[in-house]
Amino acid sequence: MKLGSIRHVRGFDVARPVSIAVMLGIMLPLVLLPLLSIFVFGTSKGLGVFWASLVAPDAVFALKLSIVTSFWATVFNVVFGLFGAYVLSRYDFWGRNAVIVTISLPTAIPTAVAGFALLLLWGRYGMIGKFFSEDHQIMFTPYAIILANIFVTFPLAFGVIKPVFDTMSRSLEEASATIGATRWQTFWHVTLPSLRGAIFSGALLTFARAVGEFGSTILVSGNLAGRTQTAPLYIFAKFNEGQIEAANAIAVVLALLSFVIFSVLFFARDWLEFETQES
Amino acid sequence: MRQRTPLSRIRATLLLMTLVGLTAGSSCLPKSPSESGGAVNITVYGFSIMKESLEKAIYPAFTAKVKREHSLDVRFTSSFAGSETVTNQIIAGVKAQIAILSIERDAERLRDHKDVTSDWHALPQKGIVNKTPFVILVRKGNPKGIHDFPDLAKPGIKLIHPDPVSSGGAMWSILAIYGSELVKSEKQSGDADRTRALQTLQAVWRNVISTPGSAREARTQFESGYGDALITYELDALLMKQANGNVDADVIIPEATIFSEHPAVVIDRNVSITERPFVNAFMQYLWSEEAQRAFVKFHFRSSTDEALNRENKELATIKYPFSVDYFGGWDKAYPEIIEGIFRDSVQNRK
Repeated sequence: MKLGSIRHVRGFDVARPVSIAVMLGIMLPLVLLPLLSIFVFGTSKGLGVFWASLVAPDAVFALKLSIVTSFWATVFNVVFGLFGAYVLSRYDFWGRNAVIVTISLPTAIPTAVAGFALLLLWGRYGMIGKFFSEDHQIMFTPYAIILANIFVTFPLAFGVIKPVFDTMSRSLEEASATIGATRWQTFWHVTLPSLRGAIFSGALLTFARAVGEFGSTILVSGNLAGRTQTAPLYIFAKFNEGQIEAANAIAVVLALLSFVIFSVLFFARDWLEFETQES
Repeated sequence: MRQRTPLSRIRATLLLMTLVGLTAGSSCLPKSPSESGGAVNITVYGFSIMKESLEKAIYPAFTAKVKREHSLDVRFTSSFAGSETVTNQIIAGVKAQIAILSIERDAERLRDHKDVTSDWHALPQKGIVNKTPFVILVRKGNPKGIHDFPDLAKPGIKLIHPDPVSSGGAMWSILAIYGSELVKSEKQSGDADRTRALQTLQAVWRNVISTPGSAREARTQFESGYGDALITYELDALLMKQANGNVDADVIIPEATIFSEHPAVVIDRNVSITERPFVNAFMQYLWSEEAQRAFVKFHFRSSTDEALNRENKELATIKYPFSVDYFGGWDKAYPEIIEGIFRDSVQNRK
């Protein structure tokens, strides 16, 4: 800020508006216009059609299913991410680095491969799935969607929580132990509070990514409207049918949802980290 | 200043998240709208272009009929994709009870995996619910001068053709191009010219710019303004014109073309004893005059009664129609034409 004001005194700095314009100019065709087109096409036939597309039973169901399956995947991955980060930053053991690398792998694996891998494992002819009776198959049910979401978002919460664990000063934990707190008490009262920000942002990131998941879901869910069709699959189905407005109406909801999530992430992270330092 | 401890804030966050989860689902997973109310549910998986006629005419009419005659509620849930995709999903374990497929070979694959154990040939019309010829869609006014399949081989034509890996329509289209040349040469000289047919198919495929996953997806691409021509089911071409009056397309009827025939099969593995009567009743209903008439209204051709087809004035007259029987049925057409000719000689996969 100081630098800016000094330059301002000297006169108009051309670099400032030019670099901002270049940045926005690059973003415009790549990110901003595609986002804008969702809103334009979503409402192109009037707000009545937009609203009708939103409240169509299959659309409402698809959104609910996406939110609920993403929620459970988030709960699992945050709890595991916390546990995994704790284990991997507190204990050294043979193969520890291999585990850290493996946890990160789902980021780079194509999501279709993730779906396919789940089918090969849990499907009717899969390594585990073949031991399940016809009535207890989990592929092509909402549980398959949760499994797929867990797989593709596996590294996210862990990736946010682990660095905080690594850099955390252990003096507080040690102090807590000296005054006779149990391991669990130390974790609950000392360690966990300083991880607040990381848990929160890890959860939001995981949720945002899971809600938009498509590639693995289309393989494992069965894509049955009103049963196993998530919001992204609904959008894809409507697009294929040529119902661009219906597809875009739901896309608008997902876009707004991620907008809210990332705004919260952006503003709340500062607040949470500030609080952590204060306490 | 802060009254709350950090811990209570975490608790509050967790509580809030749980509330979000619970309100979104009101139970562990959302209830399907089709599962409520003690109605019998029939799950149908269909190949892509079945969607309009089933959802707009066949399902509501059958539901009303059962309600009227037996005071019972029937509901349908369905999913539509390329015929190969649908078949693969069912083999992988999808709980479909009825499948309506683009090609009989897919029904045979389901039989080979023991998903279908009843014989669909015992159904009316050997299990074929409806049929439709393959036509060419071009841009309005036909600027590229396309009048038959060989014209699609002209340099500079951009053709959209569904992917034979996932789409039954794509396989019909390949049979249509190849068979059309055979039939025409046979009419001209009395001899089916296999070289000419192969060369035409190869030349047409050089002009393919995009291979979408299903016939329906191909149509959406064409509608969005992409490509000069599209080979598709006549019904899809007519539905497209109907859906959008000022659509920028003309339908070209080839001199000789194939009629695709679409089988319906019961996925016996997924039908319980209590559901069986409803599933069977629906299967029989598909060949009833009411259902066949509805199919014709949605531009299919009836498989039971040619007279019904005259009710739809938009259905074209084909000079030399043929069916998969011309190649000796799918048992021969698939290995000989799709694998032998198309995959090995056109795509050079060998």
